Amino acid sequence: MSNTQTNHGPTQHAQPSTTSGETAEDVREEWTEYGFEGDAKLSVEDLNVHYGDDHALRDIAIDVPEESVTALIGPSGCGKSTFLRCLNRMNDRIDSARVEGSVELDGQELYDSDVNLVELRKRVGMVFQAPNPFPKSIRDNIAYGPRKHGDMDTGLVARLLGRDDSDAEAELVERSLRQAALWAEVSDRLGDNALGLSGGQQQRLCIARCLAVDPEVILMDEPASALDPIATAKIEDLIEELAEEYTVVIVTHNMQQAARISDQTAVFLTGGELVEYGETDQIFEHPQSQRVEDYITGKFG
Amino acid sequence: MSNVRRSELSTATSATGELVATAVLGAAFLAFVASWLLIFQWVDETAVYVGIRVLDLLGGVLVVLGVGVAGVGVGSRLGYVDTTPSATAGATVGVVFGLLWAVLGGVLGTLVLGNAVLAWLPVAVVFGGLGLLASVLPREDVGSTVPVAVVLGLLGAAIGVGGLDAGWTWAPAWSSAVFPGSELVPLLVVFGSLLGAWSAAKARAGFGATGRQAGAFYLVRTMVFGMLGVLALLVGFIVVNGVDTMLTGAGLGGHLAVPVVGVTLPWVEFPFLLNDTGGLFVEIPGVLPAVVGTLWLVFGAVLFAVPLGVGTAVFLTEYAERERVTQIVEVATNGLWSTPSIVFGLFGLAFLVPRISGGNSIFVGQLVLGFMLLPLVLITSREAILAVPDDHRGASAALGVTKWETIRSVVVPAAMPGTITGVILGVGRIAGETAPLLLVFGGAPYPNSTPDVIGAFEFSAQPPFVTNDVLLSPASALPYQLYSTITAGVFPKDVFTNAEFGWGTALVLLLVVVGLYAVGVASRLYFRRRLHQ
Repeated sequence: MSNTQTNHGPTQHAQPSTTSGETAEDVREEWTEYGFEGDAKLSVEDLNVHYGDDHALRDIAIDVPEESVTALIGPSGCGKSTFLRCLNRMNDRIDSARVEGSVELDGQELYDSDVNLVELRKRVGMVFQAPNPFPKSIRDNIAYGPRKHGDMDTGLVARLLGRDDSDAEAELVERSLRQAALWAEVSDRLGDNALGLSGGQQQRLCIARCLAVDPEVILMDEPASALDPIATAKIEDLIEELAEEYTVVIVTHNMQQAARISDQTAVFLTGGELVEYGETDQIFEHPQSQRVEDYITGKFG
Repeated sequence: MSNVRRSELSTATSATGELVATAVLGAAFLAFVASWLLIFQWVDETAVYVGIRVLDLLGGVLVVLGVGVAGVGVGSRLGYVDTTPSATAGATVGVVFGLLWAVLGGVLGTLVLGNAVLAWLPVAVVFGGLGLLASVLPREDVGSTVPVAVVLGLLGAAIGVGGLDAGWTWAPAWSSAVFPGSELVPLLVVFGSLLGAWSAAKARAGFGATGRQAGAFYLVRTMVFGMLGVLALLVGFIVVNGVDTMLTGAGLGGHLAVPVVGVTLPWVEFPFLLNDTGGLFVEIPGVLPAVVGTLWLVFGAVLFAVPLGVGTAVFLTEYAERERVTQIVEVATNGLWSTPSIVFGLFGLAFLVPRISGGNSIFVGQLVLGFMLLPLVLITSREAILAVPDDHRGASAALGVTKWETIRSVVVPAAMPGTITGVILGVGRIAGETAPLLLVFGGAPYPNSTPDVIGAFEFSAQPPFVTNDVLLSPASALPYQLYSTITAGVFPKDVFTNAEFGWGTALVLLLVVVGLYAVGVASRLYFRRRLHQ
């Protein structure tokens, strides 16, 4: 794993930097190295993100294993959401964002100019912090992606030509809702508007909507932060189940949540640095960096 | 000792005070209504009730109002009436009463000392100061009643026993205008009754914060009812004047011949709506050509403006990246919306008419009204598209859906109700538009046939392949019909006079616009329901 943080060598470790407070220390390469078996699903190298003059992410390098849950934790404004949005190029939608470096999905570079964003986002889905269902029926919400990708055609022309996919679509809607543990609650009112669901149900609907496109990676940006504890518990169970088939990367503010559901954890700290990355138990029980220990034990937010 | 003053938890209002204040409110309301009846001359200003001339009666009511509010206020100050007043009525009330009293002083000064500025100005200033102090210095219950009572008392006395009556006129030296007392005095009573009612509303709620709220709500409510009153007056006037004409010959005695089966069914008879205006054999002239003309105009204009407006709004909101371009377009659209309609008409006459039809025509009328409708559709759909949460766009993008598909299936449907609101407003305006139609659209003042636009389509093998003579001919529309009827010298048939036919046309125009509104509101409800249910 090549890393450009060579100037942050161990020799500088003892000298506290005056710019980032009393507990500042330089990031050491071995803290962010995490060995696992098999190929990386996502592989990030030298990732730098600027919003105008603001340097939001610095030299991030991280490999995410397949079919696992990776938690990104850190204080507000440390760049973890920005990092997440780099993984399916949602930052392209922000005019002032400038992304440098490399992100590979199954060894394929995502920031090449010839990458098809439609295909990329079909393979790397995303669930947002606030539930954001469309003002349409539950069924239309789930089928929205497949219909727009031309996988499901239930339009009038298709029906007239005898190529109606209504049955396949009904099946897909049911499967996605079952996967998101929402089927039992909404099976009798699929035609109702999705905005009539509760917040937790809406968020699971958004997860189901994401699953309906059949992605390989699911990015979640604090998916439970707007929900009550019961809805949160449901979402957490769901994430653990999803990790059996999908690669899940989740940003969370809740350290207990990260400890409960994730296989590996990456800690971002103020300034857009990835300070420590490793097995979740290791990070929470024996953090190697003093700053990470302070953050996890609550001495520093 | 704490300097926080605590009052009783329950708003204390004694029965007597409330009773007096309520009575004052009622009397003020009656005086208010009576003055408007006088202003509109539904009641003669020389009328005599209970042996008293009506204006003297109103003057008396004002005095009674003054005595009533002053009674409650002073009673409250002396402890006979339980209230929860603040320490002072406040600076705003003070300034208002200062100005009121200054006017009062100016008038008195002029009456007593003459017209010279040096004579009345000092009196006005002294009175203004007194009014300010009288409302600010005492406790709120006195400060917001006694100054009112003084104004009401003086005004009432001047109207009741003084020289202010129907025959009196005011011819100010600085103007050549003469104000007749028959109009001015009721206006003064309207003003006085509002003042008294405000004060009484405050007193009834026991002064203090709740009292101020009651006073403010009273004034707001008066404005709302005033506005509704104006609306009702307008609509009522048109209905009363037009309904006889519209219903001439109407009944259930008609017959409808069903073409294929050969049966005749009973049907409604509505000659004014269903007959042509001119023609030799028309017994009761009607406005059918104008109704059909208006509907075609609105249809064409909407067909032209909505796709163009929504398309531009989508481009400006979703695609245009340069802030400056958007701003320039925005300024241009706002300017276009405020452009007088006759300018659009002139453009149509000078540019479109020679190029399209060579004379007045339905098609040019549709285009010109479409141009007029376009800016409003653009402005409202832009607002509606901007109001669609960005979350929807993000969610759609994250599912790998292209921007265009997102706009088509998420953004535009969510913006539809707002766009339709704009179209409704715009249609209301263009359906009643007259000026441009005079220039580019109108034909014979009393048309003897209804434009058959659909039947006039002709197809041919040579360019331009489709022709429509009717679309390129002049026609009539309701506002145009109204205008030409009013300005024409003599109505061709004996059944109606010009004025009668005009009122009937106006009523039908009103109904058509209401009908178009109903269609618009219904479609807005349909789209909104699709979004939220």
